[in-house]
Amino acid sequence: MATTTEHLIEQGESDSKLPWYLKDLYRYLKGFALLTIVYMGLRLYQGAFAVSTGLDSTTPAFEQYWMRLFYIELWVIAAFASGMWGYLWFTRDRNLDNLAPKEEIRRYFTLTMWISIYTFAVYWAGSYFAEQDNSWHQVAIRDTPFTANHIIEFYFNFPLYVILGGCAWLYARTRLPLYAKGISLPLTLAVVGPFMILVSVGFNEWGHTFWFREEFFAAPIHWGFVIGVWFALGVGGILLQGVTRLIELLDQLEDNI
Amino acid sequence: MSVDLSSRSFRPYTGEKARITRAYDYLILVLALFLFIGSFHLHFALTVGDWDFWVDWKDRQWWPLITPLMGITFPAAVQAVMWEKFRLPLGATLCIACLSIGTWIARIFAYHYWNYFPINMVLPSTMLPSALVLDAILMLSNSLTVTAIFGGSLFALLFYPANWPIFGMFHVPIEYGNGQMTVADLLGFEYIRTGMPEYLRIIERGTLRTYGQYATPLSAFCSALLCTLMYTLWWYIGKWFATVRYLTKI
Repeated sequence: MATTTEHLIEQGESDSKLPWYLKDLYRYLKGFALLTIVYMGLRLYQGAFAVSTGLDSTTPAFEQYWMRLFYIELWVIAAFASGMWGYLWFTRDRNLDNLAPKEEIRRYFTLTMWISIYTFAVYWAGSYFAEQDNSWHQVAIRDTPFTANHIIEFYFNFPLYVILGGCAWLYARTRLPLYAKGISLPLTLAVVGPFMILVSVGFNEWGHTFWFREEFFAAPIHWGFVIGVWFALGVGGILLQGVTRLIELLDQLEDNI
Repeated sequence: MSVDLSSRSFRPYTGEKARITRAYDYLILVLALFLFIGSFHLHFALTVGDWDFWVDWKDRQWWPLITPLMGITFPAAVQAVMWEKFRLPLGATLCIACLSIGTWIARIFAYHYWNYFPINMVLPSTMLPSALVLDAILMLSNSLTVTAIFGGSLFALLFYPANWPIFGMFHVPIEYGNGQMTVADLLGFEYIRTGMPEYLRIIERGTLRTYGQYATPLSAFCSALLCTLMYTLWWYIGKWFATVRYLTKI
């Protein structure tokens, strides 16, 4: 998803069966498939080991099955963030002034795919595993901030959608002229706001030091997460920016049957 | 930096341009589906959550008040963009349908299959009839004021009747251990949870129960009043977030 103007000159016409504006469709679908496998794999792991080894954080089995997973996650997240952000930055387009309308349209499609992958990660973090956190803490006493669900939800799912949101932001900033000339406020809101949900984990866990036996999901210590997710509404502004520019670009294309 | 489209005349795209715009629509649909399941569900779970998770929290006092009040937020914000900018009268229905998908998946796989709660105990409530009416009123009136007053009120007032066929059977009184309770209460007591202590379970507080059969309508009308205000507030929040500004620095 990182073609630059220089590459385009070298590549010429593609022999792909896909239309030119959907050049990155297969990579987009592969991204969905990969994320689905990762999230469902983590859920199956929880189903297999959470009750048998995840109830008491002082046991050796917890260290083996859960803290080891936590350390692996940290390495994966660090490697993925540096790899993806580094790749997007170092392959940036340095010739944006000469971007053809067709290529710019294609890049708007690819940006939409990036944001879509980001929202898919937001789904798993904000919907499924978030509610599952309530389910788990209804039946298991939290004797550590690193519970069997937190290790996946807070320390893997949250950083992963932050990284993917950052990828969308970087893609726009480095490959689309309007986003390179100015900093899109709605795109920034839609990425930075949900990032603050990750920061709210600190507030949440601090609150739970007072209140570790009970689980009341609508409690004010959880409202930091709520305010963070409101910023996802910035996607409406991204859509308006994208549609407005696409109309301009389509006007520059010939009418083809 | 963006173009002014207000004075422009449009004609439908044909050929490749039509295919391009149609492909873009499909991409946006997928994006919106996961966006609203993820974001609206998190907002909803952390504000209404407990009343929606558990059948023994679904009372006459707080459940019909809190659920529509927090449930009208994202629909109003999304309508502000979908209707004003795209003339699509489906913002509320989209949000509520996404919320329903997210809650049903979580209740089945996170509650029932992981921690063995009976699915009857964790059934999500529905706001689909409320959302359809909200969208219809906006479409027919094309007015924020009319939609806020009549749509917002009906959004709240339709909530309890829409859910009664699903949850009414759990409100049947039973006598158990020399005490009277509901089937919902009994389910709650049988499945021990960290959210079940009575200092946490916010249901039927104070003396509202002395109003007898009027408790629910009172809660619903209180919610209707608050929903008209909440709708207007979130309409403007939605508009504010849908800014098209570019900044020179952050």
